[in-house]
Amino acid sequence: MNRLLIAEWRRMVVGLVRYPIDTIASTLTLFLVFAGLFYGASYITSSPIGGGRLSTVVLGYTVWIVMMAATGDMAWSVQNEAQNGTLEQVMMVPWNSVWVFLVRAVMAIVGMLVPVGAVLLALLAMTHVHLFWRPAALVPILMVIATAWGLGLLVAGIALLLKRVGQVLQIVQFLLLFVIVSPVAVLPGLGWHLASIAIPFAAQVSLLHGLLAAGATPTAWLWLESVMNLLFVLMGGIALFIGADRLARRQGILGHY
Amino acid sequence: MIRVQDLTKSFQTRTGRIAAVRGISFEVQAGEVLAFLGPNGAGKTTTIKMTAGLIRPDQGDVLVDGRSLASQHDWVTARMGAVLEGSRNLYWRLTVLENLLYWGAMRRVPGRLARERASNLLRRVDLLTRAHNTVQTLSRGMQQKVALCQALMHEPPVLLLDEPTLGLDYESSESIKGMVRDLAQNGTAVLLTTHQLDIAQELADRVAIVRDGQVVLEGQTAAVLDRFSRPLVQIVAAEPWPADLERRIYGFPVTVTGPDTLELLPGDRGEQALYALLARLEPHPLARVERHQADLAEVFLEVVGTRSGT
Repeated sequence: MNRLLIAEWRRMVVGLVRYPIDTIASTLTLFLVFAGLFYGASYITSSPIGGGRLSTVVLGYTVWIVMMAATGDMAWSVQNEAQNGTLEQVMMVPWNSVWVFLVRAVMAIVGMLVPVGAVLLALLAMTHVHLFWRPAALVPILMVIATAWGLGLLVAGIALLLKRVGQVLQIVQFLLLFVIVSPVAVLPGLGWHLASIAIPFAAQVSLLHGLLAAGATPTAWLWLESVMNLLFVLMGGIALFIGADRLARRQGILGHY
Repeated sequence: MIRVQDLTKSFQTRTGRIAAVRGISFEVQAGEVLAFLGPNGAGKTTTIKMTAGLIRPDQGDVLVDGRSLASQHDWVTARMGAVLEGSRNLYWRLTVLENLLYWGAMRRVPGRLARERASNLLRRVDLLTRAHNTVQTLSRGMQQKVALCQALMHEPPVLLLDEPTLGLDYESSESIKGMVRDLAQNGTAVLLTTHQLDIAQELADRVAIVRDGQVVLEGQTAAVLDRFSRPLVQIVAAEPWPADLERRIYGFPVTVTGPDTLELLPGDRGEQALYALLARLEPHPLARVERHQADLAEVFLEVVGTRSGT
């Protein structure tokens, strides 16, 4: 597994270093977006920047872009490999293909968090602002990312069969937006609780909201629902990806684009 | 080494199910090159991809050293290397060395060993000086050599080559051929598909010709060529035949095929007829006298026929 991790890490770093303009431009974009969050809040409210609300906005946005990246990265990876003609070589290596694409997704997130972290640190230093957040929020953030990988595997499975999934990803992102603004997990009734286990992120978003924005202590039931949601989506994503892999091999379409 | 057993595959199309491969079986021993030949659409690529585990057969299995691809997929594919046709096999934006190290790591080759192997392989194909060039800057021939190196990073005992010399110039083809020959001599079992029958004839210890998803001919290359050779003797003169040629060859089963060539079908009289004809042709100077030896192109055309032949 270490070799797989190192190989994918090197491949990602090479990509970043080989195309420095692209890397710098994407880091600059991140900087501008976060600067907009930091300074925009101050401009709109005509008050000094900072405080819990800014922290919530910044962390919420960070979680959102990481979630989107984790959901889409594997599908893009499958689509690019198919387009470049290397997918069949990837599917021939003696690793389960789920592992290969999951490791790539992990590396992509690490590669994304490095510039995000650097930009945030730079802005904090420039604005002398402190972000307030509870370390306990790290657990649901990791749960959100792992759930996003589950969903990403599902979309990647679709990409194995259909190859082009750009529009599918947009629909998924739209649905995620709907899920995030809908307080499914805190609605009364068993049906909503069951739905919050089955609908990706539903429980975790409520958990995060409670920890970051409302300053509340989430219930044990919400934690349990979040864990069950993570397991349900991740296991479901793995099972669907494996199923799609088998179907693609049965139909002989791995090498198609 | 590798045994392909009764592979069968059909695909669903809009017009119904089409049988692409129908019960294909063959073996390739260590140190042997098997040329898997056939016209377009005969089922070669489907077979090689089923052998590589990229297409799941409806029926049949592939065994490497007795272990089944169906039940031990990772173990079996770890012992295979492949250069697939129409596929780029490599990341064009990575350098040659980065590609080899990446694919080596993906096949569980430790870092230091991977570097050593990459250097050795690149030296062997005269590309050591291009190690730090991105693949997209290389010629097609060089890319194909790197693709072959990529497939060899984990020193697989089984090598699958689907049209490895397609579109390559003479020099690159010779280089790939030399490498395949060396690999076979060192014990690698090579399954090769190609439309370039001269290359197949040069490299292959055995040939299998497939048509409509079935193996229609299989055997040692030399034996197959002998089997399809006709009992013809070609006589080539050193200068154009004399004007009285008709008189000299009268009574012999001879066809004049050119101003300085003729063919004798000795028939039941065998060598006696040949010697008698040679005596009649004297003192006209002859360049050479040779028995007809079929080449793989003739065998292929005869076996595949014109119906679906290329």
